[in-house]
Amino acid sequence: MYRVTFVDADGQATELTANEGQSVMSVAVANGIDQILAECGGSCACGTCHCYVDESWTEKLPAADDSEQGMIECLMNPTDRSRLTCQLKMSAALDGLVVHLPREQY
Amino acid sequence: MATATPKASEPGTAFEPLSVAFAQNPYPAYAALRDLGEPQFFPDFGMWLVARFDDVASIARDNSMVRSPEFFMSHEEIEAEKRAQNWHDMPHHSRFVQFSMLDSDGEVHDRLRKQVFREFTPVFIARQRGMIQSFVDKLVDGLIDKGEIDFVEDLAAQVPGHIIGRVLGVPDEDCPQLRVWSENVVKFFDINRTDERKAIAEKATTEFYHYLQKLMTQRRAAPQEDLITRLIAAQDAGHLNEDELVSTCMLILMAGHGSTIDVLGSGMHALLRFPDQMERLRQDPGLIHTAIQEMFRFESPLPFFHRYSTTDCVVGGKAFPRGTKFGLLYGAANRDPAAFGDDAGSFDVGRNPNRHLAFGGGAHFCLGNHLARLDMEVIFTTLIKRLKSISLAEVEPQYKPGLSVRGPKALRLTLTPA
Ligand code: HEM
Ligand code: FES
Repeated sequence: MYRVTFVDADGQATELTANEGQSVMSVAVANGIDQILAECGGSCACGTCHCYVDESWTEKLPAADDSEQGMIECLMNPTDRSRLTCQLKMSAALDGLVVHLPREQY
Repeated sequence: MATATPKASEPGTAFEPLSVAFAQNPYPAYAALRDLGEPQFFPDFGMWLVARFDDVASIARDNSMVRSPEFFMSHEEIEAEKRAQNWHDMPHHSRFVQFSMLDSDGEVHDRLRKQVFREFTPVFIARQRGMIQSFVDKLVDGLIDKGEIDFVEDLAAQVPGHIIGRVLGVPDEDCPQLRVWSENVVKFFDINRTDERKAIAEKATTEFYHYLQKLMTQRRAAPQEDLITRLIAAQDAGHLNEDELVSTCMLILMAGHGSTIDVLGSGMHALLRFPDQMERLRQDPGLIHTAIQEMFRFESPLPFFHRYSTTDCVVGGKAFPRGTKFGLLYGAANRDPAAFGDDAGSFDVGRNPNRHLAFGGGAHFCLGNHLARLDMEVIFTTLIKRLKSISLAEVEPQYKPGLSVRGPKALRLTLTPA
């Protein structure tokens, strides 16, 4: 079990547990983190699972692939910390990850 | 083999998707299918119907489930299947409609989707708001004092085709013709494929193709700020060929036109059937986004799509071989109490979260969902603001027959201006 923390737009933090290989999106959806809409269900096809990775983590994550990068460029208010939670898979290296949520996905 | 006729313990639950009873209320039949658990074989389409939310969602989101049978059928087998479904001998239809982004998978699908995805993102779509608002304002100006209208024909049907036409780059005066072509092609998707409908669909595809050719020639000579011009640039850059370009334009129009009309009609009808919800929305117009999301869930306008399995698989506890064709009943999944709770059958304009499947899921997740939502937002917000009351002027609106679409044929309303 790994830990991942979601911080909403008002600064409210929720720490949740995740299994090896589980996407950060599915952790959110399974635990009532409603700001993650995840309308396509994790296929990198909708862009409604956007998060901003906490500054302390940006260096430690595997880089976004082309399709994730392409999608991020189409989001509302993307920054260099933007990631799609459906493409972030939990592992020992990501244990303790902190992500911030936009107020709205669109 | 089991057939999709669940034991009808109560009337109206037999699976007869062309019946009037099903058109008026498909939900008892959908509930009966869900209760059976395992997918049920539906001989008319040679496919297994899947009705439970979890099963439908996992198939839609699974990359090993595909739209095109190419991976396991030979060219001859595909032709034979087309013949069996009266889907053959339609040269333009097969070139531009039967082939599309929606009916391709993997790399071809990703490449085609990439060419247009950006145009349909919230940021891009939001730029159309002013244009949509002024178009809707003009329509409402012409209707507001009429007393009684058919909401479907007089308002809903006038908007989406026109707006998509404008996004594509079709001049205003040609937009009504687009609507006719698109309807004539789409009619041929449902289960009753007569030769007459077939001839009409092929003719519409041909005329639409010739029209697009002419428009493309004009845009090549004089580029504009529109989707056609940008697709031509993509073609010149080698990202897609001309047939793919034509097919993509046709798909965008057809996928987004009838579906939006239908959900405008059924969404309005839902607000009238649940007056407390209409009142709630009037009191708190900020609920418009969740209200629209609920309209899509409650009466999913495109309730039925298919997938083929590319591997052996288990669905609803039953094993199926590679090459099985599944019918995904988005409309049934979206009323599943297991996903939406005991009030899955009621209409709640504040429902949140509301992760329904009306736009599908996975790689083919609806490209145009933000455009459809914006059309609806503008229309409902404008009507609620400008009308003191809206009421139903008929007893029981009739819904369109068939499995592939859901929406009222007409919706007679009495309007009282504010
Ligand atoms: C009421 C409105 C709409 C509904 C309910 C709807 C529903 C859907 C669904 C369920 C799918 C997925 C099909 C599948 O699972 O196999 C889909 C795909 C698609 N929709 Fe929509 N749609 C709507 C409006 C629009 C609009 C306005 C457009 C375009 C302007 C559009 C364009 C498309 C396209 C191009 C695809 C294929 C995407 C792909 O294959 O990657 N739709 N739509
Ligand atoms: S869930 Fe759709 S892009 Fe992540």
